[in-house]
Amino acid sequence: MSARRVAVTGLGMVSPAGAGARAAFAALLEGRSGLRLLAPPDAPHPLAVPAGVCAEFDPVTALGKPRAATMDRYSQLGVVAGLEAWRDAGLAQGADEDRADWGVAWGTGMGGALTFERGYREVYAAGRERLAPLTVVQAMNNACASHLAISFGLGGTCSTHSDACASAAMAIGDAFRRVRAGSAPVMLAGGSEAPLAYGVIRAWLALQVLAPGDAASAARACRPFHADRAGLVLAEGGAALVLEDWARAERRGVRIYAELAGFGESSDHLNLVRPSADGQARAVRAALADARLDPAELDYVNAHATGTREGDAVEIAALRAALGARLSQVRVSSTKSSLGHPLGAAGALEAAITVLALHAGDLPPTLGAAETLDPECAGPAHVLGAGLRGARPRAALSNSFAFGGSNAVLAFRAPGGLNTL
Amino acid sequence: MMRDAALAYRFVEERLGIDLKSADAAADLATLGVDSLALLELMFEIEDKLGLRVGEDTPPPRTCGELTQLLERIAAPRSAAGGQ
Repeated sequence: MSARRVAVTGLGMVSPAGAGARAAFAALLEGRSGLRLLAPPDAPHPLAVPAGVCAEFDPVTALGKPRAATMDRYSQLGVVAGLEAWRDAGLAQGADEDRADWGVAWGTGMGGALTFERGYREVYAAGRERLAPLTVVQAMNNACASHLAISFGLGGTCSTHSDACASAAMAIGDAFRRVRAGSAPVMLAGGSEAPLAYGVIRAWLALQVLAPGDAASAARACRPFHADRAGLVLAEGGAALVLEDWARAERRGVRIYAELAGFGESSDHLNLVRPSADGQARAVRAALADARLDPAELDYVNAHATGTREGDAVEIAALRAALGARLSQVRVSSTKSSLGHPLGAAGALEAAITVLALHAGDLPPTLGAAETLDPECAGPAHVLGAGLRGARPRAALSNSFAFGGSNAVLAFRAPGGLNTL
Repeated sequence: MMRDAALAYRFVEERLGIDLKSADAAADLATLGVDSLALLELMFEIEDKLGLRVGEDTPPPRTCGELTQLLERIAAPRSAAGGQ
């Protein structure tokens, strides 16, 4: 096998915590929640739910009016995150080198949900026969990846992964394998989601997994691992990572945030919505093995934990099965408590946060209304309150477990971390 | 200035951020970020929101000047008929 290492050299993010990956990370470490009460406009029946809204996001300023007008919001979020990551990696937007084998791998669960909803309103509710001509190309799941490839002149793969809540983690894993194998020296990877449409929220309500809340309680509506947790909070957002051949990054002399050292995936092959500790544990073990990472080196897990009764406890059971006695030494937090659950983009936002945790040495917390943890979620060293500064983790996992039983785990090392090769 | 054309100018400024009255007529729309997709959407919206008929045989404008001429042409019949 090729011994190429994969460096993370650029990060970008648009999240309910604001614009920019570093700003979001700083907000997390201050214990700030980006969640609020959302009442979707034009709702035929009154509706208000806690949600992670990118309220400060201004696509027109970031992209210009003509360009922003050709994109669904999920593409706007993704392209702006991609632009930040690209700049952050010290790469020029125009091709000043051969990018024929550079590529993009993107994740989204619901793609252009807002565009579809607008179209359905037009044809069904308003009875119109004519739709905007860009409806299809705005709504399609690979639109964002295509916009990114065009933005940076990427001539290699342009692929989109749609595996519900594991979409972006699968995309990052795909990109990782291409860089490690030597088929792409640079890959842009990540995901974006804009699911806060009235009909989409109604569908999630019907599944009975959304956390309730009012204006006063919305900021703490998502409480993973806590005894009083009551469900997940839908969110929008986008995040991007520049993955680069390590030797190439060193030659360029750019900052290496972390090493993406391994990727593990598995299928529960059990149930569409019920998670499996066995399936998740197999993905964790696969990521550790792929990274040649001993559990004794693992210091932090950014959990998938969405705040549902069953899901959070199953994830802890999976970590216990995969890590054994080491679990009690491993710091665990779920940043969905601050950012909500951006579905297919979650793996990208959380991978970026995990990378920044390794880079900065600080761990973001799981927020909660009260600091009472569920005994069923006991085991790891939970990071609560305002997080943990100076933890200096050596290696970390970012978990993404999807409806449909698709599990994806990314394993990162701090750039100066131990290497057991 | 004819009323419908003025509305169309305002619409273009709102959608694309381009003030056609002060723009260089030779300015290339693609260079201003208005690619073929953005033009397609704009033409649809001019028909849909303003009730003007662009026509399927109309070649897409390439410059600010060509877009101005197009707006004046399609706005003219209604303005003349409406007498406003």
